[in-house]
Amino acid sequence: MTDPTKCTDMKAALHNRPLSPAELEQFGSELDALRARVASELGAEDARYIRNVVKAVRYSEVAGRGLLWGGAIAFGFWTLAWPALVLGALLLGLSKILENMELGHNVMHGQYDWMRDPHLHGKTYEWDIAGTSDSWRRTHNFKHHTYTNVRGMDDDIGYGLLRIFPEQRWKPWRIFQPLYAAVLGLYFQWGVAIQELELGLAFMGRKTWRELWEEFKPMGRKAGRQLLKDYLVFPLLAGPFFLPVLIGNLVANGIRNLWTFSIIFCGHFTDKVEVFPRNSVINESRGHWYLRQLRGSSNLSGSKALHILSGHLSHQIEHHLFPDLPARRYPQIAPEVQAICKRYGQHYNTGSFVRQFGQVWGRIFRHAFPSRVPLRSPLVAA
Amino acid sequence: MSAVLRPLIPVDPTPRASGWRRWLAPVVSPPVVDFWLRKLNPVLSWDRPLARVVARSQESRDAVTLVLKPNRHFRGYVPGQHVNLTAELDGVRVTRSYSPTDVRQADGAFSITVKHIPGGRVSGLLCERTQVGDVLELGPGDAFGEMHLPREVPEKMLLLAAGSGITPLMSLVRQLSALGMPADTTLLYWTRQRDERCFTAELRAIAARHPHFRVRFLLTRDAPQKPDEAVGRIDSALLLRKAPDLAKRTVFACGPAGFVRAARELATDAPRFCGEAFTPAAMVQGDGGTVRVELRRSRKTLELASGMPLLAALEAEGLQPLYGCRRGICQTCACGKLAGVSRNLDTGELQAEPEQALRLCVSSARSDLVLDI
Repeated sequence: MTDPTKCTDMKAALHNRPLSPAELEQFGSELDALRARVASELGAEDARYIRNVVKAVRYSEVAGRGLLWGGAIAFGFWTLAWPALVLGALLLGLSKILENMELGHNVMHGQYDWMRDPHLHGKTYEWDIAGTSDSWRRTHNFKHHTYTNVRGMDDDIGYGLLRIFPEQRWKPWRIFQPLYAAVLGLYFQWGVAIQELELGLAFMGRKTWRELWEEFKPMGRKAGRQLLKDYLVFPLLAGPFFLPVLIGNLVANGIRNLWTFSIIFCGHFTDKVEVFPRNSVINESRGHWYLRQLRGSSNLSGSKALHILSGHLSHQIEHHLFPDLPARRYPQIAPEVQAICKRYGQHYNTGSFVRQFGQVWGRIFRHAFPSRVPLRSPLVAA
Repeated sequence: MSAVLRPLIPVDPTPRASGWRRWLAPVVSPPVVDFWLRKLNPVLSWDRPLARVVARSQESRDAVTLVLKPNRHFRGYVPGQHVNLTAELDGVRVTRSYSPTDVRQADGAFSITVKHIPGGRVSGLLCERTQVGDVLELGPGDAFGEMHLPREVPEKMLLLAAGSGITPLMSLVRQLSALGMPADTTLLYWTRQRDERCFTAELRAIAARHPHFRVRFLLTRDAPQKPDEAVGRIDSALLLRKAPDLAKRTVFACGPAGFVRAARELATDAPRFCGEAFTPAAMVQGDGGTVRVELRRSRKTLELASGMPLLAALEAEGLQPLYGCRRGICQTCACGKLAGVSRNLDTGELQAEPEQALRLCVSSARSDLVLDI
């Protein structure tokens, strides 16, 4: 019987050459030099860019909410006003996508800390999503970015729900995981919000319900505020015509959820992406960390609009190599990263959205069933 | 007029809110509110002290006076104190301290006088490119500095100013003048040349109005022309001539570090001496020495090895700062740096500006530091 996973992973193995310790060090210093060069160039242009993003977020939110409000009232009298509601929901969704992806995510990585603008400051920024920024800074900035794709350390591998890699243990309930994935996609902001609670531990009795409640409090406050804003305050502004506004907000949040889910899954769960064992991070050198980031991430090729709407996570590889460089720089440095990869015999994983997202779903379906771990090319040559 | 070394930026933990603003605070997102407020009026803000430049005039050959009208979040100053001023240069916000030169006017406005230092980026911005109508930020932190009148005004005072050091003292002179000159005051004001001098006409007018106030203008590179002008550097003979009753005078001195040091040594007989020097080029240590690191929030001061990553150095002292990746990725250990020079261990770059997010794990101290932890 042929194993499609094995086949593609075999190809990946051939694409990636194990590096000798000396090569690994050289690889690391080349990337360090690239990073230092870009960091020294940051200035007025980057500041102008992020402020324009802020502007786009603010105006599109006002336009979206305004259209929903006016559209809801008009719709009450004249059913042909529905396009205003659709446009309003789309604009609000767009605003939330821009805010979450290109503004919030990037600012929280400290990409714009060098500007010293308190409103664009990584440690204090609070984004327009159910989860708290503080929780995100722990699970994402620290755990996910430091231990990218390391089993048992990076909770983003399948979000504790999905078996994406054959290295994860198979259980019978995984059979239905395409269904779980679809639900996770629709409610992605809630998945992200509760990720740090690790509900599973409470069910398994490895954490008390009291501890869980304490951990839930800050998240509950933030989520309550978000629910209040989108599903009570803004709908009630339209008075008796609240329902279309509420549905519009639900749709806007839903669009944002599906989009962020898709982009994030494309970043680490495509065919040739690898996972690593726990021991790979013991006394890890900088070069080794870079190599792990490269092999654990995948890009999306496409238009400028795709890059901006994905918060430049379409350049997931560059983002994982340099998480604190302003994301608008990733497309500029991508050719150099690609050249470095080529010199060191490493595969630069990129493809169209359709191709990469197809591979993600391929993995979700394939590994719902038992699968064997394929041959992997080690990071370091023995 | 110029940055001051000793008093550092005070910590301002949470923005203060009052009345209706406190009730609204839980649902308000300051960045969103500020964005729209600034469309209405660029000096409006939810919680940040901003000021609009309402007048600009040339004060001397190389100094400009800006009159600033702050919004309601500015908490004021006492004459003689300094305020932090933050402006944006090439996308980066840069902070310098300046001394207001007057007593706040009825509408809250006050003046600063900025000397254009050759090559100085902020002074260049303020002197050359700042126009009436522009908005600057006052902060971080409130006004600071000890060189102000004590609750009980001393009988006799001697004010020693060199160059830009005139600015906090001018504020005091204007305050004393407005109070009817309650102290017998002598001001000695040094500049190299006459055309560098600020406030000359006003100081002469105050001297004409108040018999208890004397001003002497000292020059080091110009010949004296008026009876109130003289030549010479600060020394004991000169002080003895201009202020024979030094032992009875409270002395305030402001100027370059060398000037303040000389003044302090000459004024040992004075009942009280208060001196403030401008920032000299920060003392940058090589790796190997020790530096004094003040942790403002924990109220601790430690001696740390200068070359070591700060995170490791703090841990070696038994402290446990928050950290995550320990390699400059995750920002968990980042904290505010209020003053001092740090070095980024990844790039080797020195950073002398205050920072909001100094990553302790990849930074070392290169001078004495004040951290906001």
